[in-house]
Amino acid sequence: MTRLLRNLGVLALERLASLGRASIIWAQSVWGLPRAGDLSLLIRQIYNIGVLSLIIIVLSGFSIGAVIALQFYTQLSRFGAEDAVGLGLALVLLRELGPVVTALLFAGRAGSAVTAEISLMKSTEQLSSMEMMGVDPLHRIVAPRLWAGLICMPILATIFNVVAIYGGMVVAVEWLGSDAGSFWSGMQDAVELWEDVGKGMIKSVIFALVVTWIAVFQGYDSEPTAEGIGLATTRTVVLSSVVVLALDFLLTLGMYGDFK
Amino acid sequence: MTDETFIEINDLHFSRGARKIFDGVSMRIPKGRITAIMGPSGTGKTTLLRIIGGQVKPDAGEVIVDGQDVCRMSRDELFEMRKHIGMLFQSSALFTDLSVYENVAFPLRVHTRLPEDTIRDLVLMKLNAVGLRGARDLQPSELSGGMARRVALARAIALDPGLLMYDEPFTGQDPIAMGVLVTLIKNLNVALQTTALVVSHDIHETTSIADKLYVIADGQVIAEGSPEALRSDNSARVMQFMHGSPDGPVPFHYPADDLLYDVLGESAA
Repeated sequence: MTRLLRNLGVLALERLASLGRASIIWAQSVWGLPRAGDLSLLIRQIYNIGVLSLIIIVLSGFSIGAVIALQFYTQLSRFGAEDAVGLGLALVLLRELGPVVTALLFAGRAGSAVTAEISLMKSTEQLSSMEMMGVDPLHRIVAPRLWAGLICMPILATIFNVVAIYGGMVVAVEWLGSDAGSFWSGMQDAVELWEDVGKGMIKSVIFALVVTWIAVFQGYDSEPTAEGIGLATTRTVVLSSVVVLALDFLLTLGMYGDFK
Repeated sequence: MTDETFIEINDLHFSRGARKIFDGVSMRIPKGRITAIMGPSGTGKTTLLRIIGGQVKPDAGEVIVDGQDVCRMSRDELFEMRKHIGMLFQSSALFTDLSVYENVAFPLRVHTRLPEDTIRDLVLMKLNAVGLRGARDLQPSELSGGMARRVALARAIALDPGLLMYDEPFTGQDPIAMGVLVTLIKNLNVALQTTALVVSHDIHETTSIADKLYVIADGQVIAEGSPEALRSDNSARVMQFMHGSPDGPVPFHYPADDLLYDVLGESAA
């Protein structure tokens, strides 16, 4: 029993120390920008993190939009309410699925790549050599990736939403024959700029902050071995996914008020 | 050359977990000379370089580099100091996403506002000094181990540092590459008047260029002096290291139970 308590204590202290290190790294990195000459580093990371994630975001967005429209149409048509497919699709995407699925895809594509890159740089002493040259790797390596993630994720979520709505439209209107006017006007009537689009974007910014923070910290704090890199990359994806889903629940509770 | 001290280490203590790495180490590294720190693997030679560079904080003691105590420096002061230090890493640590040219240009681009023409001239001069001007467009993945280390050396001297630290520069090198590195380290010391600190356990190569040697073992300095003085040192630990004897005060066997007992168990008793 004593051993169990001691082990739990050690684990809790380790997690706390890890959170402390992560906070210091985040604060020192964010403090580092913007500086003259950093723009090119930022643009390069926006390309690596954002532009290279476009394909997976577009393909997934289209598929998810199409599937949701299919399910909505099947269920709603039983009550003769197939005109509501557009508004249902838009609300689900803008409020929940857009930010959440984009964050999950982002963690799998860009987050894991960032972790692997930073931990490989650590294991090959590139970060150490940078430090010894008087260049702070937190400013040079970590900060551009953090900022690029923060900039890219809301844009990717917006693209995801647009493509998903298009995918839903293709299924509901073009394929299943739902009325195009009802599809778009239902959406226009129900969607509010702040309540749906704005709050969805806020979620996306918060997820961006969390996922990129986890990704850079896992890379920076990894064991400099082959196994360490693998573990760090896995931890980024698993931890990001769990935290994003848990945070989404809390944010929805906080943003959309009284559910009872 | 003068006998002025460039690095002064006083009563250094450092532990990693329960293991004591340094237990009261003191050293004086003279300015403008080549000093070698030698000792068996795992004695903390690389850690010592990291402590001097401020990457690792010791538990106790003073590390004074060019008049400044590294242990009391702020993060910004440390980064400022490191602009005047060049370090050659054991793994070369070249930036894998940059070409040879860009690797050498990196410290110049970050720390100076020199025009591109001047940066080009400086990079080519540094690469020429290590014999790799012709390899400027290659990627690190296209270099042999010896070439990578020479490029890393060109990068380390890009800003003409006052202190050059070499972490195991000869490890894993073929005889030709090793000879090239020995000559380069010696020539750079003469040409740039840089203080050089070489951490190595390659006795022959190191003693051929070092002006002063320190031998560390079991967390302490067990011998210091010129290469000649250490070669004629009669202490058992120094003799074992300098002559490469497999057994001696540093035992060949890792501590273990008696072999017969280990193999045959209780019946051996």
